[in-house]
Amino acid sequence: MKTDDLLSVLAADTVPQQTVDSRMLRALPVAIAISAAAVLLFWGLRPDLDAALGSAAVLKTVVPAVLAVLAAGLALALAHPGLRSDRRSMALGLFAAALAVALVILMVRDGLAGLTNALVTPSLAVCLLSIPVLALPVLGATLWALSSGATLHPRLSGAVAGLMAGGASATVYSLYCDQDAALFALPGYSAAILFVGLLGALAGPRFLNW
Amino acid sequence: MRAANRGDAVAYRRLLHVIAPVLRSVVRARGHALGHEGCEDVLQDVLLAIHTKRHTWVETAPLRPWLYAIARHKVVDAFRIRGQRIELSIEDFAEGVAAPQGPDPMRGRDMEKVLRALEPRAADIVRGFGLKGETTAETAARLGMSEGAVRVALHRALKTLARLRERMIE
Repeated sequence: MKTDDLLSVLAADTVPQQTVDSRMLRALPVAIAISAAAVLLFWGLRPDLDAALGSAAVLKTVVPAVLAVLAAGLALALAHPGLRSDRRSMALGLFAAALAVALVILMVRDGLAGLTNALVTPSLAVCLLSIPVLALPVLGATLWALSSGATLHPRLSGAVAGLMAGGASATVYSLYCDQDAALFALPGYSAAILFVGLLGALAGPRFLNW
Repeated sequence: MRAANRGDAVAYRRLLHVIAPVLRSVVRARGHALGHEGCEDVLQDVLLAIHTKRHTWVETAPLRPWLYAIARHKVVDAFRIRGQRIELSIEDFAEGVAAPQGPDPMRGRDMEKVLRALEPRAADIVRGFGLKGETTAETAARLGMSEGAVRVALHRALKTLARLRERMIE
């Protein structure tokens, strides 16, 4: 086929395309609802949820949610070539750096013994398994939405999608988790979320290439 | 492009006709080893990518950076799957001058291969628009379909084409 003929064909196709944002808006609520329903059904809410949300433990819910929002913003920017993503990457980077600083401060305060004390509990395994499992629907929905985009860096986009899914999943999981020690939640949740980020980075080139 | 994304076929065709010669010269400058037909195949890959990803251009952003980013990504990709690594910078596009049309038929080979792999009816619709220059109404009348159905069928066919090209050439 001649290129000129191809141009005629392309010009004839005027069916409007679904934007990445609208796909995201369609798929994400469903995915998050699935994860939330799974927590309600199979994990169960912590009995003292009201009290927990009124205390410092609310950070376990808020911090991952903020992370998810920042990562979602960056993932969307990356899916649109020509859009500047540096501010959004910087926001995400600063947020991660602040968490790392917080972890260092806590470590200095409580020492290695404090860390091992907080982490040696069966809840750690539950946390490290649950967050990635609960993240799967969100990761799937996000990759589906982003696949209609045109990222120039599939692996990076996948990783950011993973961070987003991990953050959303940790937010939901925190409604079950009754371990409120900062030295448990910060490293435990972070490790689980980073693992989902790794999954995303592995899946990115497979699903986001175009 | 703004008009094109709102469904203005005439404006879109004009835009594609402006873009294509510039892209052709960039591809040819890099693709001596592929020959004219090979270069035309690469160009068609790029044009299909621009088409299938046109919604990723944000209307408030300038068009050029988007266009060059899509084209650069796709040109490098197209050369890679044809066994050639190339380096390409954005400036190559910005400085690109339209390649002369000449008597060259500007025909690619891959498209025929891919069209044959397409469902016959879909391929028929694509050929109708491309080779015969049919309008939606004419195609609809010829195939006994509604105009809406023809539009959707064409849209799906192009999506499938883009996917198939990626796979078949590798």
